[in-house]
Amino acid sequence: MDLRWHHFALWAAFIGGMLALPQFVSSGTLRTIIFANYLAIFAISWDILSGRTGYISFGHPFLIGIGAYTTAILTKRFDIAVEYAIPSAVLMTMVGGLILFLPALRIKGSYFALVTLAFMELIYQLVQVIRPDLTGGTRGMSGIPTLTLGARDGFYLSFSLMAAIALSMWLLMRTRLGTALSAIGMNEESVRGSGLSTTRLKLFAFLTGAFVAGLGGAFYVHYLGSIAPRALFDINFLFTILVAALIGGLSTVIGPMLGAFFLTFLLEYLRPYLPGAERYFIYGGIALLLYMYEPKGILHLFSRGLDRWRERVSS
Amino acid sequence: MNHPLEITNLVKKFGGLTATDNLSFVVEKGKSVGLIGPNGAGKTTIFAQVMGEHRQTSGSIKVYGKEITKLSTSARVRHGVSRTYQIPRPFGNMNILENIRVGLMPDNIWQMITGNPDLDREEELALSVGFTPGDLMKTPSELSMGDLRKLEMARTMATDPSIMLLDEVFAGLTVSEIVQIADLIQKMRKDGMTFLIVSHDLKALEPMVDSAIAINYGAMIAHGTLDEVLANEDVRASYLGGTG
Repeated sequence: MDLRWHHFALWAAFIGGMLALPQFVSSGTLRTIIFANYLAIFAISWDILSGRTGYISFGHPFLIGIGAYTTAILTKRFDIAVEYAIPSAVLMTMVGGLILFLPALRIKGSYFALVTLAFMELIYQLVQVIRPDLTGGTRGMSGIPTLTLGARDGFYLSFSLMAAIALSMWLLMRTRLGTALSAIGMNEESVRGSGLSTTRLKLFAFLTGAFVAGLGGAFYVHYLGSIAPRALFDINFLFTILVAALIGGLSTVIGPMLGAFFLTFLLEYLRPYLPGAERYFIYGGIALLLYMYEPKGILHLFSRGLDRWRERVSS
Repeated sequence: MNHPLEITNLVKKFGGLTATDNLSFVVEKGKSVGLIGPNGAGKTTIFAQVMGEHRQTSGSIKVYGKEITKLSTSARVRHGVSRTYQIPRPFGNMNILENIRVGLMPDNIWQMITGNPDLDREEELALSVGFTPGDLMKTPSELSMGDLRKLEMARTMATDPSIMLLDEVFAGLTVSEIVQIADLIQKMRKDGMTFLIVSHDLKALEPMVDSAIAINYGAMIAHGTLDEVLANEDVRASYLGGTG
């Protein structure tokens, strides 16, 4: 693992800076950052599963939904403590990740993407018709126990979770495993031809992606205190996750974080001018332009700028 | 006696088409065998069956006496058989060292996470196929076809094979690149590597092989030294499109 002191210095500066943020910004901004944190978690998990391996999944809300619904049902309907409900939710999401993985044994590309989209639609229909007394049916559930009170606590919890996930995934992806997963996305046959079991590697990616998605989904529902199937299994929610990872920088951990913050604040700052769904046109346009002119994402823009600055300083 | 590669009565059918027709041959340890035949003769299909990319309809493929027909591609590679492709298949966003790193990795997720890349071995392999230290950070988009073939050779060697299958190894290369790749193969032959080589460039192939097998319509039509095979009437007819 190629780790230098400046990597840890940058992480420490980022985490320190963010933890100090509540001293300087309003509660409204903190609430926006909370959403950005959760979006970052979802985008990181999508990137591990899809960005690295090239198996583009349109079914990510399926995984997030399993995590969210499991903990919501366990805590609200069965009075199970959150410290047991969340791990159970994560385990259930990993089972969901295993189910999502099965089509990846046979199909890839656009066919795989379409099948995963069907998973999202399937769970949307299931939570409405199967045991609506448990899931809340079309109306969803409210009164789910929350873990924090106020924006400040919510920010600390969501940021700690996001930072812990991002740092551990960043460390994991800097190992040879990260190289192997990225290699699958570039040429799966060559990975097999290099003597590596792509089935095992993909399974690991799917289970890890599901683990992170389940964790994020479970904590998110305990932040919101409610769950609404129409919002959770919504195509806009899915595309926000995908676009965050795409415009931030695929096959990286920092990229999806950057993309999530960029998108959340963009949508939030557009709100006074375009209160309706028109905002999505603007964000779609910006995402399209960014992706056309810098397909490697915002992270690559930053690193190119940094390289130019270094060259200028050294000359 | 166990050989690096032993193919017996191999048959591959795609619907009504017989791509490999009851083929049997042996590649002995340390020998280099040329596999020749006109376009569509079924040479690459044989490679694909040896690697498990296509499942044979019937027949046996053994590597050092072990039947490998039920193994996955990655398991076959770990068993010592490795191939290069007619069109190189590098990892596009990785530099030369990272490409080779994939070939050097253990097939064990825990070891991938806990172990460090063998940077010295990566560099040694890259330099051994003719890259210079200045090339090592280049990505495939910056490499010529000759360099891409060298990269593929290096990644294949990284898997520590006992037999290498080289598919159209001289295709698309300039004269000087052919010389470079030929020198590399000769060097590896001296080190005891076993080869099965497919090439349309018979002139370049000649010094590379100890013997040759000619196939047409998936069936063996001649075997012996390359000169003997090329002198065979059926082989000449197959290349010229006659009936023999």
